[in-house]
Amino acid sequence: MSAYVTLTINGAKVKAPEGRSVLDVALDYGICIPHLCHVRGLTPIGACRLCIVEVVKNGKSKVTTSCTLEVEEGMVILAHTEKILKARKNIAEMLVAEAPNSRAIQDVALRCGVKEVRYPFRNKDCVLCGRCVRACSEIWQSKSLGFVGRGKERHVALPFDKRPEFCKRCNACIDLCPMTITPCPGPMKKGEEYLCGLCESQLSMAEEIPDSCIDCRLGEGFSCIRKKP
Amino acid sequence: MTRLRSIEELTALQERKRPLDKGKATIVIISSGTCGRACGSLSVIDVLKKEIKRHRLGNRVRLRITGCHGFCEQEPLMVIEPGNIFYCHIKPEDVAEIVSMTLQDGNIIERLLYEDPASGKKIVREADIPFYKVQDRVVLGQNKLVDPTDINDYIANGGYSALIKVLTSMKPEEVIEEVKKSGLRGRGGGGFPTGRKWEYCRRAEGSPKYVICNADEGDPGAYMDRSVLEGNPHAIIEGMIIGAFAIGAEYGYIYVRKEYPLAVEHSKIAMQQAEEIGLLGENILGTDFSFDIKIARGGGAFVCGESTALMASLEGKVGEPRPKDIHTTDKGFMDLPTNLNNVETWANVPSIINQGASHFASKGTSKSKGTKIFALTGQIRNTGLVEVPMGATLREIIYNIGGGSANGKRIKAVQTGGPSGGCLPEELFDLPVDFEALTEAGSMVGSGGMVVMDEGTCMVDVAKYFLKFLIDESCGKCVPCRVGLSRMLEVINDITEGRGTEEKLELLQDTAGTVSIASLCALGKTAPNPVLSTIKYFRTEYEVHIKKKRCPAGVCRELIHYSIREDKCTGCGTCLKACPHGAIAGKKKKAHKINDDKCQKCGICEEVCKFDAISIT
Ligand SMILES: Cc1cc2nc3c(=O)[nH]c(=O)nc-3n(C[C@H](O)[C@H](O)[C@H](O)COP(=O)(O)O)c2cc1C
Ligand code: SF4
Ligand code: FES
Repeated sequence: MSAYVTLTINGAKVKAPEGRSVLDVALDYGICIPHLCHVRGLTPIGACRLCIVEVVKNGKSKVTTSCTLEVEEGMVILAHTEKILKARKNIAEMLVAEAPNSRAIQDVALRCGVKEVRYPFRNKDCVLCGRCVRACSEIWQSKSLGFVGRGKERHVALPFDKRPEFCKRCNACIDLCPMTITPCPGPMKKGEEYLCGLCESQLSMAEEIPDSCIDCRLGEGFSCIRKKP
Repeated sequence: MTRLRSIEELTALQERKRPLDKGKATIVIISSGTCGRACGSLSVIDVLKKEIKRHRLGNRVRLRITGCHGFCEQEPLMVIEPGNIFYCHIKPEDVAEIVSMTLQDGNIIERLLYEDPASGKKIVREADIPFYKVQDRVVLGQNKLVDPTDINDYIANGGYSALIKVLTSMKPEEVIEEVKKSGLRGRGGGGFPTGRKWEYCRRAEGSPKYVICNADEGDPGAYMDRSVLEGNPHAIIEGMIIGAFAIGAEYGYIYVRKEYPLAVEHSKIAMQQAEEIGLLGENILGTDFSFDIKIARGGGAFVCGESTALMASLEGKVGEPRPKDIHTTDKGFMDLPTNLNNVETWANVPSIINQGASHFASKGTSKSKGTKIFALTGQIRNTGLVEVPMGATLREIIYNIGGGSANGKRIKAVQTGGPSGGCLPEELFDLPVDFEALTEAGSMVGSGGMVVMDEGTCMVDVAKYFLKFLIDESCGKCVPCRVGLSRMLEVINDITEGRGTEEKLELLQDTAGTVSIASLCALGKTAPNPVLSTIKYFRTEYEVHIKKKRCPAGVCRELIHYSIREDKCTGCGTCLKACPHGAIAGKKKKAHKINDDKCQKCGICEEVCKFDAISIT
């Protein structure tokens, strides 16, 4: 039996098994902390930075990602302070400008309160969340996918750009990719990107309860009323 | 060399070596670090050796080839003792004269003396040169005393006494207590209290433990760590042995960038010699304490200087930072407790042990103790490495040591702390260099870069320059840094190319705020500093770019306009010939004209015009 610790998230006292991440615990309790790169069971890498929270210790607060932070006895977590909400919204804005062709990212943007995208759209087809890379190497020990290059050049690639023999064709990479589900009205062409916001029908209710999980399930949770037939 | 089997044997060796230079009437000290060599110190040394032989002065003169002394602008330079005579800009042709005139006859060669630009007077003694006079060269000053390739020099100067003291009379906890009391804080950028870090690592569970010396030094323009490693490697090794003893570490690494071949070479020689005489390896000086150091060469990525990226790189993985929710003192290299300190931090340890914590703490401000080395560069008269007590003001460093502006233009800002430091305006030059004071002002002490800028500098362009550097060096792992910085550059480009708006400036600030709050590692967290500090202190420059579409310093190409002043142009035709774009036309002896459509704003016409007739608006 694992030991339990008690901590507070947004003022609510919660109990959690030792070793679990603050993000997982928050989600277990139905507290919404938007996230993208995190997949339960895979090593957290803290890449998307959406899940940032403030940890208060000795009267000082520090910003860190909840997916990489393990729960501790007496920990005080604030996931929705003004500072966090502002930064998180801006990160979501950056992400949706990078990759508007993802329902998951459009949902995240909306959930984080993005009402306007001030950056020119780039319409990329990868946001380097690394979900596929980790799934491949950690679930299947296959390492068919990896990050290549540094900084601007960073991208996900197959060895020698070919599907290797040791790929088990499990499709975990595709299942976990936030880019595989396009926005409900269909893919956006270059130059015609926009912030969806169409599923506001679902989110209107959510806006009133901004800190509860609304079960968006990475773009699968709900689809908009104007979905193509 | 024989292996020393006990502490007494080392003490005896120190005694024996102490008169090393005695019997030789004259010591010629030549600085020959990377900077000295670049200026030709090696050929000077070659000729000097021949001349000393030719004059049969070998018994009387010792030639001590040392690392950098810091006054890099005056290289190649030498100091002759006794007399403290300082010669600079020495050419191989000067050497014969130095040997016959000065070494043999004791006369001073006026021509080779340093001339103080302020007073125009020649200065004979090194100690009287203003550049050195105002400094407090606790660490750097030792470079002059030792030949880095000979452990005997270091030992003769009392080297490894701190280790003797530690091994004979101190418990590990007492060493940590002493370092804590000294108030030493990390010199690598973060300023974390060194003693506390050691304590965390000592208390951490896991074995073996590691200590690492961070000599990655990726800041453009910074080279203090290189100078210390090249010039006095034993101080670092001694510091690391003491640290390892205090922490209970068995292994050490010196992580040095491969662009520093001389530093690698000198530290290798030093380690080998230390090992030969039993200062490294099994049972150091006959005690039951064992410690070994290896050298690891880094590929030279800036981000690999970050602690977690450095450790990943040491493990042979991609040099990317990881979240630090678990400290490296608990789980660092190979997931084992690891203590990482900067070169300069380690080099300060022996003197803290030797002279006591309170001596170290007597210098500096309430929270920043001791001295710090800065790399002074930019539009300033005396460039080089300077070491001052913490708490010295920027003004003292820039004017008293740096000698003020290089070209008579007004100095308007100083950028401190490396590429992700901030730009501070002249009004703030009375700020002390102190970890808290500089951070509060929007910059930082960082690793000690200091770039002085004059009126000819466009602050928006400066921000753009550093931003580009950091984008190139970002590892690309996390969104705020990878995407945010590139978005910031987009806006800055807009501003410097005439597409700026008030809204975009706001977006720039918003993005900068997010990057600094939310990035994974300190590279991203500090990357917005140059942008934020220039907006804070030089907002009007941004506004002129945005509203008037003009660059006040005449730097941003898209916003400047070249023309020829008719009243000054003599029609000499020099610019016409020089313009690579064929944009200038005009008849001989008549005022010329620039064709705006063809002008690429390269500025060559301005450089070649002898009549000051090119105007930039
Ligand atoms: C991007 C980045 C680059 C760094 N580069 C260096 C470096 O070149 N040398 C160094 O000593 N510290 C560097 N640091 C700081 C280290 O992470 C670490 O704080 C330091 O080496 C700890 O030693 P100290 O406590 O003695 O300063 C860097 C930090 C960052 C974020
Ligand atoms: S802040 Fe920049 S350098 Fe640091 S992890 Fe993120 S992308 Fe890499
Ligand atoms: S979910 Fe935590 S950083 Fe991406």
